[in-house]
Amino acid sequence: MNSDDLIWQIINNSFCSFMTKTKTSKFCRNEYNLTGLCNRHSCPLANSQYATVREEDGVIYLYMKVAERAHLPAKMWERVKLHRNYERAIGQIKEKLIYWNNWIRRRVIARFDRLLEVQKRSRRLVLTSETKLVPLSRKVERRERRREDKALVRAGLETAIEKEMLDRLRAANPEEFVNVDRAAYEKALQAVEVEDEEDDEESEEEEEDESESETEYVEDFDESEEEIEDIQEQQEEGEEEEPPVRQKLTLSSRGAAAIAPPRKRAKVTVEYDSD
Amino acid sequence: MTSRPIVTVQAAKEGEKSGASLALPSVFRAPIRPDILNFVHDQMRKNTRQPYAVHVKAGHQVSAESWGTGRAVARIPRVRGGGTSRSGQGAFGNMCRGGRMFAPTKTWRKWHRRINVQQRRFAVASAIAATGVTSLVMARGHRIEKISEVPLVVSDSVQDLKKTKEAVAFLKRVKAWPDIQKVYASQRFRAGRGKMRNRARIQKRGPLVIYAKDNGLCRAFRNIPGVTLICVSRLNLLKLAPGGHLGRFVIWSESAFRQLDQIYAKSKLPDNKMASTDLTGILRSDEVKAAVRPRQARQARAVLKKNPLKNVNVMAKLNPYALVLKRKAILAQRKALAKKRKADAPASSQKQQQKKQPAAKKAKQAAVKGKAVKK
Repeated sequence: MNSDDLIWQIINNSFCSFMTKTKTSKFCRNEYNLTGLCNRHSCPLANSQYATVREEDGVIYLYMKVAERAHLPAKMWERVKLHRNYERAIGQIKEKLIYWNNWIRRRVIARFDRLLEVQKRSRRLVLTSETKLVPLSRKVERRERRREDKALVRAGLETAIEKEMLDRLRAANPEEFVNVDRAAYEKALQAVEVEDEEDDEESEEEEEDESESETEYVEDFDESEEEIEDIQEQQEEGEEEEPPVRQKLTLSSRGAAAIAPPRKRAKVTVEYDSD
Repeated sequence: MTSRPIVTVQAAKEGEKSGASLALPSVFRAPIRPDILNFVHDQMRKNTRQPYAVHVKAGHQVSAESWGTGRAVARIPRVRGGGTSRSGQGAFGNMCRGGRMFAPTKTWRKWHRRINVQQRRFAVASAIAATGVTSLVMARGHRIEKISEVPLVVSDSVQDLKKTKEAVAFLKRVKAWPDIQKVYASQRFRAGRGKMRNRARIQKRGPLVIYAKDNGLCRAFRNIPGVTLICVSRLNLLKLAPGGHLGRFVIWSESAFRQLDQIYAKSKLPDNKMASTDLTGILRSDEVKAAVRPRQARQARAVLKKNPLKNVNVMAKLNPYALVLKRKAILAQRKALAKKRKADAPASSQKQQQKKQPAAKKAKQAAVKGKAVKK
């Protein structure tokens, strides 16, 4: 009672889990389908006698199904390994499907040819393509970039560099300072003087605090002299902060002065190179 | 059908001997009628419904009266009184906010359906028959590629399984496990409001295990996702063809399989409308061919009329001599042309000799050439 026609009617009209529709055509996702389309002829389920060619791990096999084995799913498909030689393989196909439906014979051979083409192409691709395409997850990429930016801000590179340089400055011998460019130095001086008025108040406060907390070695308790010394120190510090940039001295000495921890009252004398 | 195919019983437990042969019960030869099955399935599914309805008084618990005409408002009944924003609002109508709906649903709606006994039996028989067709079971979506035989009958020791672990081992041995894996893969959340109505999770249907006697089988299998268990004596269409689609994957126990013959004694089975459903086979058979007239030759189709006076080929078809005439005419024309040129050539050369001699020579040469070609 279960003829192919009946099966096809049921599958086609009601439901088939392998069938997928697009706007123009119907496809069959059954792996044994000869054409890939959902057709009366192509349906592996609705044809009790059917054959396909399939590739498994680079080897091409001919699969055959007959009505006698329709009720034994595990043994339904008879598999024949096709010869590596094209002529022989075609011969095998023709021999196995000798009295079969014309359409199936032709389609099997056509599919076999196509599979060979695909194999050829994929082998060629492996040889030619050196760059491997790696898929990027847009979401992940965006997230990582954001995190990088935040991390950069958090690291505070500028402040770290400043700190490092100030430490070096303090550790280094003041006599080692050398003014190379007089003009730049003068400029820097001017810049510092402008800022200095604001800085003075801060430094004054600091000094007062420091005089209470730590012992300091001060020669004269003369504010004006200290101012000058401070200016000079700041200038030095300003210069030291940006050794590579001689021409343009953008002094962030204000920052330096604000951060500067308890300053040792080391007397700094400025020496000019007369050029 | 006199000779019936043999079905081999598979071993359920390790070490068991398989191979007892049973004849296929006649149910599996029942006509497969998706239309009857669909109808019956639809009707049956309505029988588990619980009534729902809107409250009787919904929308009417308000004393509202229309203000009538002359008040520059619509005539819909309005809520009486004052002091609240509700007063003066429309009431009662289905178009009003807070009004009663159109055709309020009632509990005395017909929820259940009665189905004729014969139809019910037909449907179940169809469903069972469909479970015996490999293609239909595959088409429905069950993964039965590795199963040794369809219909799958297992020895009665299945019914004695007590532990789920054993049940799983059994399914794996019988190669039914891929179907369960498919169920696992399909577990997901329902789309829509069902989520908040205790119907959150959904999954596909797996194999149906039909037994004759439950000696612990149900307990062993019930926790495996997708597996459904029913007793032979109580075959349920909703389980045999879920969703109204034929071909569920069924695992029969041996005694259950044997019982089918008793349940479906010959008289109870529906008749086939067609003895053989292979339509293409019938149409190609000798009997039919003998009764049919020979094939007609290709019919002549209407040809678009083309004007012979304009179209040379059509003219030629009508009058072959026309070609000859035409050719003669062409040749005569060419001859006349040639003569004319010859006559003109010396005259033109005299004129041009005063201006350019090589040009005249060229003209002469051309005339000579022309003559040679035409001849």
